[in-house]
Amino acid sequence: MNCPDWEQDGEDCPEFEENAAAMRDLNVPPAAFAAVRQRVLSEIQAKKRRAAWFAWSAVAAAACVAILSAAYLLPSAQRPAALVAKKDPPKIEWTLAQPVSQRVHHKSSGRSLAQAGPVRKREPLAVVKMLTDDPNVIIIWLVDQKGDSL
Amino acid sequence: MADFRLKAEDAGQSAGLLERCKATGDLDAFDQLMRANEKQVLGTALRLLGNLEDAQDAAQEAFLRLYKSMNRLPDIQEIKPWLYRVTVNVCNDMHRARRRRGWEPLSGDEPASSQPDPELAWVHQERGRLVEMALKTLPEKERAAVVLRDMQGLSTREVAGILGSSEVTVRSQISVARGKLKKFTDRYLRKRL
Repeated sequence: MNCPDWEQDGEDCPEFEENAAAMRDLNVPPAAFAAVRQRVLSEIQAKKRRAAWFAWSAVAAAACVAILSAAYLLPSAQRPAALVAKKDPPKIEWTLAQPVSQRVHHKSSGRSLAQAGPVRKREPLAVVKMLTDDPNVIIIWLVDQKGDSL
Repeated sequence: MADFRLKAEDAGQSAGLLERCKATGDLDAFDQLMRANEKQVLGTALRLLGNLEDAQDAAQEAFLRLYKSMNRLPDIQEIKPWLYRVTVNVCNDMHRARRRRGWEPLSGDEPASSQPDPELAWVHQERGRLVEMALKTLPEKERAAVVLRDMQGLSTREVAGILGSSEVTVRSQISVARGKLKKFTDRYLRKRL
């Protein structure tokens, strides 16, 4: 090396100083600075817009959740538990109906009793009375001995 | 030698800008902060990367990191060393990424020289280009040390603070780097001239 001091101090070494000066002389065009500033500012603005959009979305989503909760969850929590009415089945009274005593004969048929054949005696009917909750409503069910309802 | 300490007037102005940025994220104030530091950031990045487009990308990243970290910087005096540190780190990352991709961009347009004599200007420009090429051959730490010390004009102590090394290490890195640069430029200039 021609310059003994270059290891300690560049300023004392003209040979090295030439290199440093050449690099220091690097001129950056002013447009390059403006372009960097422009890019940085637009990037920051874009990030701010994205952040604002995200914040609004989060607020909207939270509001929706709150409204849905209020509409569905809170009333059901306040409503008393449904009362299950314990009702006895309607009482059924089994009574035998009065037997039909006489048949009514119509003269207009023009047939004699002999022609008509023996009078068949009807079997007594069973009457099933079903009481409901409403005292004014009673269901009456007529059943013959065979179990056929009339 | 560059001194990180700002003049009282500048410091007051910059501190006001920093406070406005911190308080409201004021983009006008941040724009002015960028204007105050853009030569430092883009110049360092250009010397470290040797390519204007990459240097602009690095400067953009450094300023975006500054905007994000604004609230963590307690004092305006810390901005300059902080920006140097971030710029060097971003440039190192870009260098590594470029090496991984196995891609080295060609230098962009030749920067204009301020020399009035055309012949001297040509030699000066040629030397600048050679130093730029030589810088690319240096390891990261040596390159950063020599750029900050000799081209940005920082003191050894300041460079050591930025690179997180001891002053002795930085002095040694600068010494080795200077030797390599000189050898490189001498060899090429002797061939060409």
